[in-house]
Amino acid sequence: MKYDKINKNNAMLLLLGILIFVIMGILQPRSFLRSANIRGMFIQLPEYGILCYGMMLAMISGGIDLSLVGIANFASIVGATVMIANGNTSFSIMLGILAALVVGIGCGLFNGFLIGYLKIPAMLVTLCGLQLYQGLGLAITKGPALTGLPSNFAKIANNNFLGIPIPFYVFIVSTLVIAYLMKSTVYGQQVKFLGANETASRYSGINNLKVTLLTYMFSGILGAVSGILISSHYNSAKSDYGKSYTLLTLLIVVLGGTNPDGGEGNILGVALAVFVLQLISSAFNILRINSFVKTFVFGIILIGTLLVSEYLDEKKQKE
Amino acid sequence: MTSIHNNKLTTNEAIVTYTILILCTLIGIVNPAFLSFSTIITLSRAMLITLIFAGIEMLVIISGGIDVSFPAIACFASYASIKLILKYNIDSILFFYLFASVLGFGFGCLNAFLIARRHMPPLIATLGVSNIANGATLAFLGTKELSNIPTHIDSLSKAYLFSFTNKSHITYEMTSLILIPIIFLVVLAFFLKFTTLGRGIYAIGGDKNAARIAGYNVKKIQSLVYIAAGVLAAVGGVTYTILMRQASPQNLMGSEMMVIAAVVVGGTRITGGHGTVIGSVLGVLLIAIVQNNLVMVGVPTHFQTFVVGLIIVLGTSVTSIRAKHIANSAKL
Repeated sequence: MKYDKINKNNAMLLLLGILIFVIMGILQPRSFLRSANIRGMFIQLPEYGILCYGMMLAMISGGIDLSLVGIANFASIVGATVMIANGNTSFSIMLGILAALVVGIGCGLFNGFLIGYLKIPAMLVTLCGLQLYQGLGLAITKGPALTGLPSNFAKIANNNFLGIPIPFYVFIVSTLVIAYLMKSTVYGQQVKFLGANETASRYSGINNLKVTLLTYMFSGILGAVSGILISSHYNSAKSDYGKSYTLLTLLIVVLGGTNPDGGEGNILGVALAVFVLQLISSAFNILRINSFVKTFVFGIILIGTLLVSEYLDEKKQKE
Repeated sequence: MTSIHNNKLTTNEAIVTYTILILCTLIGIVNPAFLSFSTIITLSRAMLITLIFAGIEMLVIISGGIDVSFPAIACFASYASIKLILKYNIDSILFFYLFASVLGFGFGCLNAFLIARRHMPPLIATLGVSNIANGATLAFLGTKELSNIPTHIDSLSKAYLFSFTNKSHITYEMTSLILIPIIFLVVLAFFLKFTTLGRGIYAIGGDKNAARIAGYNVKKIQSLVYIAAGVLAAVGGVTYTILMRQASPQNLMGSEMMVIAAVVVGGTRITGGHGTVIGSVLGVLLIAIVQNNLVMVGVPTHFQTFVVGLIIVLGTSVTSIRAKHIANSAKL
């Protein structure tokens, strides 16, 4: 029963994606199918696509991670500071990326500790976390963007490998890692149990605290990876890049069939939803529709999706 | 429960009060000018709008939900109304408040429908509504700030309760708009404490099923809470426009974080069922002091976001540890 619904949702997303692609291909073939547009999509999509996996993990565990964008920016700022201090070498880039990942792990563990040990609701912790990490980033940069990063760093987001932008490979690797984590590890099963019923999970011998810590740690790492991509894309680091991504990730994760109450979610659905949203976003840009209309439409899609899935659930229950 | 009520010196309100007193003493030592009557006037002005929003948010959180759409609703309602007023030259304060309230009512109904009828998670539903309202304001109404407020409406911003001139001949004026949050919060306090509906909000926030079995109409109460929140958000938005003498399509956006923080620091439990008006007022006061006076103690501006974040994290941890402690203690 459950698998039917998930597959139906994914099939719908795939259909929607193809539909948008075909319509735009007919309406604006010159600009939509141009390689620059496709390339732009492949650079932009991983930035929030990777954040979505973090949000998905947190949501499956029965929580939510609103601090992802804050972690991304804070991690990239620390990474940038390290890089600037170590000069223009490949070693300094490695060191900077490592520093960013460490920051991501640290922030994630801090979130996980407050949520799992002190039992503060995830929504509140991560909302505060957003403020806290953004504030730390602001304290380091003192406001303006950090520039003067090593010249090779910008190549991460802006160079191609076999004709496809490098961020897209990062996205694929993240997808595979998370898919493996969810399908083939004990952790993957435990996080679903935890999200479905916390008490039952505790009584069945699962260490809830450990699972929560791991979940938010993974989420933090994903945030940091996205932060590295964003700062490489802009070749600078700032505390308020990608502010609109919080709602976007929530929307994608819900659209991808993740249950906002926890316990359910699939990677394929989220990945498909990332593509669909990127197609919509590009279509808006090419049709020169005001970006505020995009905000409006995304809000409607979010609520519409929830209404439809709620309606389908109700119908199924009646049967 | 008894343990909290018996010891009035360790309630959440008391802890926040101590923090405020210590903070004021510290700021006062560094900068004696802080400890004067004019500070009260400056702070009340800074707190005015936050107090209205904190009242709304507290009501929603007590009922077991959360509302992040009120800044967007406030902006939409006040901006749309002022556009209409400017277009047809309707220079009436009453019309401004009424029309905005109707718009707020509409959005409140939408929230109520999604959360009470369709059982959506409140955070996601209100986040969606927030985007709809904010996107609609900017996409269809305009992005410009309007400062040509009609004279009669504008005159309200210059209505003062009293004024006070200090030794260096600077005059401080207490705006009469402060009466709006005061009246609202007093009414809210009485409503929560002495009416069946008010107790019902605590009941459904504590345990929805128990409240339903006890005979409360959960859907109806939830709907009322979100509709009231929508209307009051619009009132807050209009008041902000008059106070600032300028209508902005998005100045208030992002204030939800601070308001939730103030409410939670003031002892309202984010999981619902607990919270007092006095606590929320103290929370707002604490955050207003921190936000407006950190510079006085020598904290640079770019550290402020971090310090406020830290206070929220500490404040919520204290509240949560206390709640955990109470939950674990022996029940009588």
